[in-house]
Amino acid sequence: MFWHNFKYSVKTLLKNKILLFWVFAFPIVLGVFFHLAFQNIEKNEKLKIIDIGVVDDLQFQNRSIFKEALNTLSEKGENQMFSITYGDEEELHEQLEKKEITGYVSFGKDDVYLFVRKSGINETIFRYVIDEIASNEKIINHYISDGMSYVGNENVDFNMMIQNMMQTIESSQGNIENVSNENLSYTMIEYYTLIAMACLYGGIFAMVIMNSKLANMNATGKRTAISSLSKGKLIISSLLASYIVQLLGIVLLFLFTIICLKVDYGHHLPFVILLSFVGCLGGLSLGIFVSAMFKKNENTKTGILIAFTMLGCFLSGMMGITMKYTIDKYIPILNKINPASMITDGFYSLYYYGPNKRFFFNIISILLFTIVLTAVSIREIRRQKYDSI
Amino acid sequence: MQKMIEVKHLTKYYKDFKAIDDLSFFVKEGEILGLLGPNGSGKSTTINCLLSLLHFKNGSIQILGREMKPESYDIKKQIGVVFQEVAVFEELNVYENIDYFCGLYIEDEETRKKYVEEAISLVGLERYRKFYPKQLSGGLLRRLNIACGIAHKPRLIFLDEPTVAVDPQSRNNILEGIEKLREKGATIVYTTHYMEEVEILCDRIIILDKGHIIAEGTATELKEHANIEEKITVEGLKLTKDQFENIRNLKNVDKVRFVENVLTITYKSGQNNISVLIEFLRNHNITYQSIFSERPTLNDVFLNLTGKELRD
Ligand SMILES: Nc1ncnc2c1ncn2[C@@H]1O[C@H](COP(=O)(O)OP(=O)(O)O)[C@@H](O)[C@H]1O
Ligand SMILES: [Mg+2]
Repeated sequence: MFWHNFKYSVKTLLKNKILLFWVFAFPIVLGVFFHLAFQNIEKNEKLKIIDIGVVDDLQFQNRSIFKEALNTLSEKGENQMFSITYGDEEELHEQLEKKEITGYVSFGKDDVYLFVRKSGINETIFRYVIDEIASNEKIINHYISDGMSYVGNENVDFNMMIQNMMQTIESSQGNIENVSNENLSYTMIEYYTLIAMACLYGGIFAMVIMNSKLANMNATGKRTAISSLSKGKLIISSLLASYIVQLLGIVLLFLFTIICLKVDYGHHLPFVILLSFVGCLGGLSLGIFVSAMFKKNENTKTGILIAFTMLGCFLSGMMGITMKYTIDKYIPILNKINPASMITDGFYSLYYYGPNKRFFFNIISILLFTIVLTAVSIREIRRQKYDSI
Repeated sequence: MQKMIEVKHLTKYYKDFKAIDDLSFFVKEGEILGLLGPNGSGKSTTINCLLSLLHFKNGSIQILGREMKPESYDIKKQIGVVFQEVAVFEELNVYENIDYFCGLYIEDEETRKKYVEEAISLVGLERYRKFYPKQLSGGLLRRLNIACGIAHKPRLIFLDEPTVAVDPQSRNNILEGIEKLREKGATIVYTTHYMEEVEILCDRIIILDKGHIIAEGTATELKEHANIEEKITVEGLKLTKDQFENIRNLKNVDKVRFVENVLTITYKSGQNNISVLIEFLRNHNITYQSIFSERPTLNDVFLNLTGKELRD
């Protein structure tokens, strides 16, 4: 009976045209749009020396590692990457508005804030380099806080470290260049949000299947509720079905973007798949949650889910990565609880840094999100055990 | 004889509204019990309580000799329900819908195939196997709804107003189907607000009003509650005030109503009532279109007990 219900659940979901549109077709269509848009940008932008600004204040003066690194990167010569304007925030902001600089950084006590106007290849390189310096700075500071002063300490050769870091960054400049020639790396973030969106949209399947199998939501739910198949088995086999259909959609999206749009997901495909499968779990729980918590008809619930997903994807950089940076800077909590952002950030960190701590942190965040939403929903479903037909 | 259902002092509130008020009744094995009552009298609520779909305040419900609970899956296995609203999947065709619901009870594929086919022929949907619900007319949809509820051959069947808003052909088909189910030994609880149906179909009838049982028994027993013996209706006539008074004073007459050229007379007892009336009309040169005599109906019972008509 478990598999009987599973089989028919898959069948009903795959025959629901509205669902298939939102979950299968819409992300693919959006992907095609992205692809067309990026092709144009690609032609217009070449790698050259990037004009950036640095807010030259006390905070910056205290960041010796950043100071040295930026100095090295702006030295005239073959390897020059940046041309730097130092100034106060207001001036730099004005220059940014006038498009004289690609972006600028300012420094807090421990943080680095990055301002760019749009998302383009230069902005991405800028961001990448700053991220890279920041993470190296952390490592170095870690040594320092362990009680080793780098000045005059023979165990830690600060200059060596800086040099190593520069080498990494320079070699990755080649990387960025290569990638940008075939496949703009910064556009990846958009594809990632696309996958995040598909993962979360997949929750509609879970929502619809829950609606149709639970007594207080739907006429068919009354039927299944009085059957001899236990409620637990009924729900688990139905949700399993919706998850499988969800994964099918994701696999289709991957195949389409890889084969037709020639998107390169980097060397970490197994982890990309792991992350999207976990992302689908997040979507699944979102679907269960919307189904359990909102006493509305199915179309309204679908609307709620789609709106939530759209907003989440927008905030995590679907329409331009600047949004992600802005949110990260001003309202970081928002992206910490935004499942679209967790998925996107997971991909992002995977692309740039491989399967590192940040990647797994995102995986765990999504799992936590899933568990919390599911738990709350189960409580609600238990509570309305039989009432409110 | 075994009691399939035994309900004691069932009371159900929706918030502050008392929908069921101290209901007690039983259903014997093999019988068709009719729950007759106007819209809103609590028929569906009673059924939903019996099925543990609704939480109720007071009372006890035993089905097949055991207390009914939401997780009484072994009891549920023997029950089939046809709800008032059509409950099928739009994405599945006729065959698949029946197969899906049947499969929630019957594991073995061969048996299930057989059962599904039998259900299809019971409701006469052979020609529509591959049709989707959207393609079916209201009556056919009702038949599909019934097939989905009874395909697994349950011992106990609940049918909640299965003939509401159904064309006459489907209605006959449905009533015949229910007869066949009874012949095969099923016990049936049948709710409706059509008194003709319970009269034809049911062995025993419970009349509900505002969540109360107001009468209970076979159709013949119930009609004693009507407190009349005969009802004569004359259509298409004109009467003066004097003539109307004279009719009221005829022998055996209980009540007289004259509305829109239709005269209705009820009699407490007696014979030859109709010939006495015809003679009176002829003597007074009163012309009319038709005249007929009826035995009391359940509607008269209801009218007598509640002072209002059963039909809305
Ligand atoms: N979910 C509900 N919430 C509040 N009142 C309800 C609900 N369902 C039914 N009722 C009320 O309970 C009464 C009995 O309803 P119901 O059992 O559906 O009657 P019937 O099936 O005999 O037409 C009606 O007055 C109806 O308005
Ligand atoms: Mg009803």
